[in-house]
Amino acid sequence: MSDPHSSHGKDGASNEKGWADRPGFIRAVFVLLFTACALAAGAGMVSAWHNPHPHFEVEGFPVFFAFYGFLAFMFIVLAGQHLRKLVGRKEDYYDGRE
Amino acid sequence: MGANSLIDALVVNPAVIMTVGAVLCIFVPSALRRVFMLAFVAASAFQLYKLGLGEFGAVTLFGETLTTVRVDRLARLFGIVFHIAAALNIIYAWHEKDRAQSFATIAYPAAALGGVLAGDMITLFVWWELAAITSVFFVWAPGTRSTYLAGMRYLAIQVLSGVLLLGGVVLVFRDTGSFAFGEIGLRDPSGAIKISGLVLFLAFGIKCAFPLLHNWVQDAYPKSTLSGTIVLSIFTTKLAVYSLARAFPGTHELIYIGAVMTLFPIFFALIENDLRKVLCYSINNQVGFMVVGIGVGTAAAMNGAVGYAFSNIIFESLLFMSLSAAMYRTGSSKATDLGGLYKSMPLTMTFCMIAALSIAAFPFFAGFVTKGLIIDGVAGEHMFWIWLVMLFASAGVLEHAGIKIPYFTFFAHDSGKRVKEAPPMMLAAMSVAAVLCIGIGVWPEPLYALLPYQDQIAGYEPYTPWHIIEQLQLLLFAILAFALLIAWKWYPAEVPSVNLDTDWFYRIPGRNLLAWIAGATRALWNVMWSVIFRRVEVIIGRIYLVHGPEGQLARSWPIGFMALWTAIVLGAVLIITFIA
Repeated sequence: MSDPHSSHGKDGASNEKGWADRPGFIRAVFVLLFTACALAAGAGMVSAWHNPHPHFEVEGFPVFFAFYGFLAFMFIVLAGQHLRKLVGRKEDYYDGRE
Repeated sequence: MGANSLIDALVVNPAVIMTVGAVLCIFVPSALRRVFMLAFVAASAFQLYKLGLGEFGAVTLFGETLTTVRVDRLARLFGIVFHIAAALNIIYAWHEKDRAQSFATIAYPAAALGGVLAGDMITLFVWWELAAITSVFFVWAPGTRSTYLAGMRYLAIQVLSGVLLLGGVVLVFRDTGSFAFGEIGLRDPSGAIKISGLVLFLAFGIKCAFPLLHNWVQDAYPKSTLSGTIVLSIFTTKLAVYSLARAFPGTHELIYIGAVMTLFPIFFALIENDLRKVLCYSINNQVGFMVVGIGVGTAAAMNGAVGYAFSNIIFESLLFMSLSAAMYRTGSSKATDLGGLYKSMPLTMTFCMIAALSIAAFPFFAGFVTKGLIIDGVAGEHMFWIWLVMLFASAGVLEHAGIKIPYFTFFAHDSGKRVKEAPPMMLAAMSVAAVLCIGIGVWPEPLYALLPYQDQIAGYEPYTPWHIIEQLQLLLFAILAFALLIAWKWYPAEVPSVNLDTDWFYRIPGRNLLAWIAGATRALWNVMWSVIFRRVEVIIGRIYLVHGPEGQLARSWPIGFMALWTAIVLGAVLIITFIA
């Protein structure tokens, strides 16, 4: 533990593919994700599983949460990245200034 | 103040036990120091348990009785989680030999504990300031110029909060004649804002990192040491959340402040390359949820706010711990330097994923069973827009804390770094936190039994079909959006950069203004001095003319001249005597 950063392994080992880099795994993740989304959306259609005392009308719409989650995430990433133009600076911005 | 009552009050206080441990641990050899520290945290926890609910440690000061220790359900909840967090921090940083940091690792939690146990505002103020002073050691610990400057800024802001608190205490005393720390409120019965309430509100708001007052978190915390950042991330903001819950429950302004707090950090976290800073924005966002709950102020929302504080302390510090472990091995916390670490740090990756699932509030994890209470509390008051903001912010949490942290640290592009797994004691601390994350999620009843409003929680069932389905729809489709953005290469690449935030105002223009004022004062002084000096010079010159070696008064007189004058004076005397 004397030098925590000196534990790099053998040279050349860095290019080996791990389990998460295999195309089969990535495909499986996508399939699992699509299935889970379909199940969640499908479960929303079952009226017996709806909130018996909804507070807002939109809660009655079976896939409202799916729709909202998807759009919110898209908006955050696609709109949010433009903030960088406004506030992004070089890494050494503060170095000479204070 | 009787000396005996003061000693009794000190002995009874768990926070004092921990503080004594902090001071003594400096003198203990480093091999035994951590065991010693754990023993004091355990002793403090035992004392808290032994006290039970009630008020202790009464001290009379200026004719007023202070309650230095008050254990009610609200204080006990924070007291318990502070002990858990303090113990985990000690275990995590087992390798840390630095005395100053070891001291701060329990002195700072002790101060925060003393604050939540304070039954009066004088005691609160003392611990509030101690929390500021003890925590700055962590910011200064790396010992560079940049951390020194950040530490000074941090200290200035924390002390400002303390000064406001003291001002607020005096104003509240003027209004009510009491130092008791209870519900204060922002408005008087007529609806007008009370100055006393406003000053206290600001004091708590600074520590709570309200929007625009938030940036000391991102400025100071990531500059600390690996373990220091974890300790810092927990206590100050949660002490402020506790104080708001105590003094301002149901203050509606908090709903809007909290809503903004949940929103803006999402966008800053998205573009931030330093993952420790991302987590600092996450602190703002998470505290925002709690602040909304306190603002709503119903039993459900209050239970949610403080319950969420409890579980957040565990999963947020687990996120910090896993990231710090990666940083300990690789030397960097930048997204651009990390990636692909799942191959060499699989256990740390697993703990990080558990924390990510918890903070994103997946069913059967700690976030779900407590955040749901806040969102239900908002819905229960029919605040549609705030409810939508909460859901939007939940998608945002998933983006920066649930996905970005684990994805860019352990997956994404392979950094090529092949490092060792985290050290055993780090893994031990992380595994305890991970077990708690899952444990609270699967079996929330013990946490629910600690919440302040038992009547409300008795009828609450987190695992209804609609709770699970609604949450899963929100999260899974958000993950789907992420997967598509990655597949389409629309997800913005990380770039090495620094993003300006409100600290820019005092670090650049504020600093320049200060430098200008200093320069202008100096120049003015010089001008004034030169004017005065010239005057003085002229006067001295004139005096010199008369009294100097060449001056008239320095002339040597001939003896005859003197004899003549003596004769004139004697003649004058004779004439005057004759006339008289």
